[in-house]
Amino acid sequence: MEGKGIELNIGPVHPATHGVLKLVADIEADTVKNAEVEIGFLHRGKEKTAELRYFNSYFPIVDKLDYVGALNWEILWASTVEKAMNIETNERVKYIRTIMAEMQRIMSHLVYIGAFGQDLGNLTFFVWALRERELLMDIVEEISGGRLAPMYNRVGGVFYDFTDGIVEKIDSALLRIEEKVKKEYKAMTYENSLFMMRSKGIGIMSQKIIKDNGVTGPNMRAGGIKRDLRKDEPYLAYDKVDFDIITEEESDVYARFMVRIREILESIKIIRQLLKSIPEGDVKISTPWIMKVPPGYTFVRHEMSKGEGAMFLVTDGGLKPYRLKIRSPSFYSLQALPLILEGCKVADAFAITASIDPVMGEVDR
Amino acid sequence: MIFDEVYSVLTAYLPPKVDLVLSVLVTFVLALIVMIATPIILGWVDRKFSARIQSRYGPIYVGKFGILQNFADVVKLMGKNFVTNRYVDKFSYNIIPILSSILSFLIISLLPLGSSGLVFVSLPYNLLFIYILLAFSPLLIIIASWGENNKFAVLGGFRSAAQITTYELALIVTFISVGMLNGSYDIISIINSQSFIWNILYLPLTAIIFFIGSLAVIERAPFDLPESSQELQAGWRIEYSGLKYGLFLIGDYVKLLAVSIIFVSLFLGGWSGAFLPGIIWFWIKTIIVLMLLMSLRWTLGRPRIDQLLSIGWRWLLPLSVINLIIVEIVMLI
Repeated sequence: MEGKGIELNIGPVHPATHGVLKLVADIEADTVKNAEVEIGFLHRGKEKTAELRYFNSYFPIVDKLDYVGALNWEILWASTVEKAMNIETNERVKYIRTIMAEMQRIMSHLVYIGAFGQDLGNLTFFVWALRERELLMDIVEEISGGRLAPMYNRVGGVFYDFTDGIVEKIDSALLRIEEKVKKEYKAMTYENSLFMMRSKGIGIMSQKIIKDNGVTGPNMRAGGIKRDLRKDEPYLAYDKVDFDIITEEESDVYARFMVRIREILESIKIIRQLLKSIPEGDVKISTPWIMKVPPGYTFVRHEMSKGEGAMFLVTDGGLKPYRLKIRSPSFYSLQALPLILEGCKVADAFAITASIDPVMGEVDR
Repeated sequence: MIFDEVYSVLTAYLPPKVDLVLSVLVTFVLALIVMIATPIILGWVDRKFSARIQSRYGPIYVGKFGILQNFADVVKLMGKNFVTNRYVDKFSYNIIPILSSILSFLIISLLPLGSSGLVFVSLPYNLLFIYILLAFSPLLIIIASWGENNKFAVLGGFRSAAQITTYELALIVTFISVGMLNGSYDIISIINSQSFIWNILYLPLTAIIFFIGSLAVIERAPFDLPESSQELQAGWRIEYSGLKYGLFLIGDYVKLLAVSIIFVSLFLGGWSGAFLPGIIWFWIKTIIVLMLLMSLRWTLGRPRIDQLLSIGWRWLLPLSVINLIIVEIVMLI
C-alpha cells in the first residue's frame, strides 16, 4: 500500500545525534525513504577567528574543533605553523606529541564505541567506555593540566615535559584498557549476538561512496581501503614505530565499530614502543610568543581519530594568518550519510549515524 | 484475603459494624502502603544495582545509602508544573497515566504476596484475569500515543502495540500450559500443587518463554523499543512530564514486581521450600527473579522492532504451542 509517509525531524536536540546534528527523514512505515542532513547549528566561525588571532593564541580555539580529539588538532596546527616558519622541533617533542596523539586517539575511539553502544540501548557500555577513558584523561591532566581541552602544544614544542613516573602510569593504564577491550567489551559488544544482530549488514558504504565523498579514516578503512597517513606519509615519530593498518572488508556498521576496537589495540602497541625509546632533550625550542610567519602557502595533513584532518594556511608575513582552511574528516563522512541511510529502518538510522562518528564541533567549525 | 485476616483480628476487640468499617480502612491503608512503597523501593534497588554494574555509586546523599532518594524524587515530581502541549487531546492525555498505573496496581492486588492469605482481591481464575489486565495496555498506549499528536509518539505507540500483541499470544499459551499441568487457573492452587516438584522442572522451555515474553509485554529493557530513549526520545511518553510521567514510572516498577511474582508462583513453587518459613522463601525467590530481570536491562542492547517481532512469531509462539501440545498429550496419558 502506498502511503504518504511522514517527515520526521530528528535533532538538533536528540539524544542520539551526538551534538547538534539534524536529520530530516521521510519515513514510510518504519523505513527511511530519504534523509537529509542539516548542519550549522554549532557554527562559530573558527576559520575567520584564525585571521584575528596570533599564531600561538589560536591553540585554545583549535582545541574545541573536535572536542573529543583535541590534542590531535593542536598538533596539526602546531605542525602547520612550524612548517610555515620552516622550523624543526626536537626529537623528544616529536615523540611526546606522537604519544599524546595516540592517547587522544584511544580516548576518542572509546567515546565513539561507548556512544555507539548507548545508541543501541546499552547505557552500561557507555559508562564503561568512559570509565576507561578516564584513566587516560587523568594522565593527560597530570601532564598538561587540562583534560578535555588541554592546550598543551605551542609553536616549536609543548609546554611541559613528562612528569616523573608518568611512564609507569601510562603503562598500567594501557594494560587495563587492553584487558577491558579484550574481555569485557568483547562480551558486551563485538561478540554479543544481540549487538551483532543490530549492527551487521546495515549502513553499507560502498567503495564508490567512500571515494566520491572523500570519506577517510576508520570509516574508509572499514571498507577495505588500505590508507593511513601515519604509514603512507609518516609525520612526527610514526616512521620509527611498527604498526599495522587496520582494515575490514564488510564496510557495514559492525565493520566500522571493529576498526575502532582494533585501532585502540594498535595505538596501545604504538605508545608502548615509543615509551621504550623516548629520547632526552628539551620539550620546546625558543620561539617568541608573538611572531611573524614568512609569506606563503602551507598545507599539512594528519591522521585524526576520525579521518584525515588538514589545514591550509595562507600567510602574508604578518603576525596573524591571512586565511586558514580546515578540512574536517567528519564533514566528509556526513556527506555520505544520506546515501547510506536510504532504505534503512528507523531504528537503524540512529545506529548508522552513530557509526560514522560525527563530531559537530569540527563539522560546523 | 488480607481483609479477612484483618477482620478476624479486629472483631475480637471491637463492637460489630465498627470492626467492619475499621478493617476496610486498615486494608485500604495497607494497600496504599504497598502501592507507594513498592515502586519507590524498587526504584532505589534498580538505581543501586545499575550503579554497581556500571562502576558508579548511585544515590548516596539522601538518607542512609541514598534510600530516601526516590522519596525525594517523588516529591520533586509532584511539585512540577503540568506542561501540556497545545496540540494534544486533553482527555486522553490526562486519563491514560491514571488508567495505566491503576492497571498495574490491579495486577498486583490479584497476586498472593507471600502466602495464600496475603492477597488483596481473591478471585477464582485469577491467572486469566491477570492476562486480561496485561492485554489492556496496548490499547491504552495506542490511545495515549494518538492523543499526544506527536510523530515520535505515534511511532512508539504502534511499535508498542505490535510488540505487546505478539508476545501476549506466547504468554497466554504458557499460562494455558501451566494451568493444564496443575489443573487450575487459580494461582494459589497452582502454587499448592507444586509443593514437591516445581513447574520449572516439568516445563523449562515454557519458563524461558514466559521470562522473555513477560519482559516484552511490560516493555522492560532490552525490549523497551516503544519508549527507546535513544531512538524515539521517549516514544509514546514524549509529551508527558512531571507527575504524569511519574505515574508511568510507578506503573513500570509495579509491573516488574508483578511479573516476578507471577514467575515465582507459576514456575518456582511460590512459598514452597524447606527449613525457612514460606513467606521468606517466596520473597527470596522473587528478589532473585527481580534482579535477573533488572540485570538484563543493564547488560543488553535492544533489538530492532522487526527482529523482535520475528523472534516472537517465528520462535516463541510456535515453541510455546508445541510445548502446550506435549503437555496435553502427557496429561492425557
